[in-house]
Amino acid sequence: MAFPLLWMLLTAFKTQADTYSPKLFFQPTLDNFRAVFSNPIFLGSHVWVSALVSFMTVAITVPLGAAAAYVISRHRFRGRETLSLLILMTQFIPAVVVAIPFFTLFRSLNLIDTATGLVILYLSFALPYAIWLLRGFFDALPVEVEEASFIDGCNEVQTLRYVTIPLIMPGILVSAVFAFISAWNEFFFALILARSNTQTLPIAIQGISGAKGPEWQQVAAASMVVMVPIMVMSLFIRRYFVEGITVGAVK
Amino acid sequence: MALPQTTAEASTPPLRSALQPRRQGAQVRTGALRWLLLGPALLIVMATVLYPLVSSLITSFRDWRLIYSPTPGPFVGLANYARAFTDGGFLNSLRVSTEYLFISVTLTLLIGLGIALLLAKPTRLNIFARTLLILPFAVAPVLKGYSWRFMLDPDAGVYSRLIGAVVPPLKGYLWLGHEFSALLAIAMSEVWGWAPLFALMFIGALGSIPAETTEAARVDGATNTQIFFRITLPLLAPVIYIVALLKIISALKMFDQVVTMTGGGPGNSTQTLYYYVYQLAFRNLDMGYASAVSYLLVVVMGLFAVLYVRVLLREH
Repeated sequence: MAFPLLWMLLTAFKTQADTYSPKLFFQPTLDNFRAVFSNPIFLGSHVWVSALVSFMTVAITVPLGAAAAYVISRHRFRGRETLSLLILMTQFIPAVVVAIPFFTLFRSLNLIDTATGLVILYLSFALPYAIWLLRGFFDALPVEVEEASFIDGCNEVQTLRYVTIPLIMPGILVSAVFAFISAWNEFFFALILARSNTQTLPIAIQGISGAKGPEWQQVAAASMVVMVPIMVMSLFIRRYFVEGITVGAVK
Repeated sequence: MALPQTTAEASTPPLRSALQPRRQGAQVRTGALRWLLLGPALLIVMATVLYPLVSSLITSFRDWRLIYSPTPGPFVGLANYARAFTDGGFLNSLRVSTEYLFISVTLTLLIGLGIALLLAKPTRLNIFARTLLILPFAVAPVLKGYSWRFMLDPDAGVYSRLIGAVVPPLKGYLWLGHEFSALLAIAMSEVWGWAPLFALMFIGALGSIPAETTEAARVDGATNTQIFFRITLPLLAPVIYIVALLKIISALKMFDQVVTMTGGGPGNSTQTLYYYVYQLAFRNLDMGYASAVSYLLVVVMGLFAVLYVRVLLREH
């Protein structure tokens, strides 16, 4: 299971000759990293685009998602359960359905090939997901803690600030990581919207092809740039990983 | 609503059912703040989910070819939906997606179960190995596709060479050049991400099986096989059901690796539903028909989604 990852890691440091005669031991080189970070591939600019789009997605998704999740978890109002269910159901809407109207809309608004357009599309899946994930964290937080704060005379805003938000921090972190990963790895929307200015990393990697197909050692080097930050983040929140993927179906 | 309470007894024991209004919170949590906090998120969800959903539905009843006109064409009733059922390309993608679904779900469950049984004993090495299990899942699907395409490359591929060494007839076999093996290769790239994750869930479930149960069975003379099929598997059944649904939903969305591994080929043997809709909408620019096909996909996914959500609500 770990072997493909290891193999890509090794290949990233191989010369073309070593790549095409699979070896375990070889003279490592940094040439592939130099190649992908210089013209014509110029991975650096794509890293910037990916980072920008992912951070923007997180910056909008997490605060708004947390606010909505808090209300759904703690307030009692009519239609609460229905709303919560509808938000969950959005996760099962195929991206193509969202892509078609936005594609035609963005053509008239000149939002094709812009980071803004991409972030708008990413919010369509990232925000409902964050709401649902954070709701789980709020539900798991004993309400008595907040009630004690009310009894001490705090109003709701003060309670949120001094009690609820500090206690929900792990949830905030987990949902931020998930939002980041989903935007960073996303391919379908990026493929539709990206032309030349806003090619995210997954799109850029498609472009690493010589005359005879992909230059594998360069693809491997570029893959490392894409994978490593995500892996570090994933290990950081591994306790919540399964719950995050199943949106809490397996406890 | 409950009467205002000011005494310390207000914090009732945690056994309170969700149906009873929260006594303290009832009057403290105010409506004004509620809409301030919920409003922005709701607006964005409506704009990014509800709007396209409605818009797609309307478009699916129209004839709209973006090549000829930037504005939507006339309404054609159910013509686009009728067209799907006589369209060879659509029927082919339906068949491909169904095949792919069966291959990938079966493989993921079997391999996931295998890994779980291997790592079930909590030794130090196994616990370290479990940490690594989430890593493949985090790899971007595009890269999953590229890494498998690379490893199955007849010249440079380490897997194709290994297989060729063990089974000489398969030396230099073009894995992505034959219909069934291409679909299998795509499935494997996905299994690589999902199976370890499912293994983690299975390990969790295995851990909740009391040791006394299996020991009692052993004392009664049960073989390992009997224990697995009579005790372990039935107790894992609920988890298997959940992960199978999850995998079915994800299998129906297969797109990324089709692009990076096969481009839908050889022929049209790996054109999944998602890939076919993508072609219709963004290659042929046939928006009306693409919307109709994508709505058929909504219906199929909706069926499995309802089953999945039912499990979720039982948990909550």
